[in-house]
Amino acid sequence: MAKKTYDLLFKLLLIGDSGVGKTCILFRFSDDAFSTTFISTIGIDFKIKTVELRGKKIKLQIWDTAGQERFHTITTSYYRGAMGIMLVYDITNEKTFENIVKWLRNIDEHANEDVEKMILGNKSDMEEKRVVSTEKGEAIAREHGIRFMETSAKANINIDRAFSELAEAILDKTHGKEPQDAADRVTVNIPRERNSNRCC
Amino acid sequence: MSTNITETTIETKKDAEGKNKTKIYCTFCPSKMLNAGTASLINMEFALPYIHSKGEGKGNQSEAILNYWLVEDMYTFENIGVSHTVGNIKYLACADCERGPVGWHDLSSKKSYIALCRVKHE
Ligand SMILES: Nc1nc2c(ncn2[C@@H]2O[C@H](COP(=O)(O)OP(=O)(O)OP(=O)(O)O)[C@@H](O)[C@H]2O)c(=O)[nH]1
Ligand SMILES: [Mg+2]
Ligand SMILES: [Zn+2]
Repeated sequence: MAKKTYDLLFKLLLIGDSGVGKTCILFRFSDDAFSTTFISTIGIDFKIKTVELRGKKIKLQIWDTAGQERFHTITTSYYRGAMGIMLVYDITNEKTFENIVKWLRNIDEHANEDVEKMILGNKSDMEEKRVVSTEKGEAIAREHGIRFMETSAKANINIDRAFSELAEAILDKTHGKEPQDAADRVTVNIPRERNSNRCC
Repeated sequence: MSTNITETTIETKKDAEGKNKTKIYCTFCPSKMLNAGTASLINMEFALPYIHSKGEGKGNQSEAILNYWLVEDMYTFENIGVSHTVGNIKYLACADCERGPVGWHDLSSKKSYIALCRVKHE
């Protein structure tokens, strides 16, 4: 019998218009220095990352999707089973921000009802080209009751933080039950421990 | 042509049950791929493309590799990057620096294989 080496598995999805930076968020070193490697040519479909949150070992499986219209049926098939969705726009491109509403509708139609969402305003390193203010990003997130963060895949700002926040939100939902418990970090994670690590 | 490790070096990397004695890391960065005792040594020949492709025209340069760590369940990996599908497999790479392939994943059997000579044991 195979031993289970983790407590929880969260499937996360990156979605948003073409060009907002989803692949760069997943693929760290996309700069030219490495663009000749075999892997960068084929591209990464998903990553498995292990994080520890409140004493639990959590595997994050993070999937990239294609933003282009013609791939939408494929993208939609990725929604099934996703527990968290990163909805990405580009702070230097108004259209990608406007389309957030469209993506949210898409999520409502195709994803699990209780999927945890987070909006990311990416390319925050390009302040001089910004057309979507931080306030506008915050406002739309508040309106839909979703978390929000500005990120830069290029400068590696807030990327890890965004994923841990999304993972924590899912953890709260699946194991905390009452969201207020989240403040109470020490006590939440005691129940429901499966000791499958220590088999036979 | 291959850069396979000698029998004696391999012996030191496995425990009594043929599992990896130490943790397994990326050779380029500190990213941990596997914990100790989570993969089994197997002998199988499979050609993996070189990490650095040699430019146009020589697209499918690969090297024959004979020694792999077999990982039954993909979620056993601590950190791993999984490529888009090529034929019936997906290539495996470092989850933090994307250097690879360090191994491959068989879509039909769902098993994964990590090349001993492309990772660090410590
Ligand atoms: N300045 C800056 N450029 C970025 C950032 N993230 C991505 N880019 C650039 O934006 C362009 C598009 O990035 P991708 O990651 O390919 O976009 P995508 O969302 O995956 O697009 P599709 O795959 O078509 O859906 C690339 O030229 C990146 O270099 C960022 O944080 N800052
Ligand atoms: Mg992309
Ligand atoms: Zn690495």
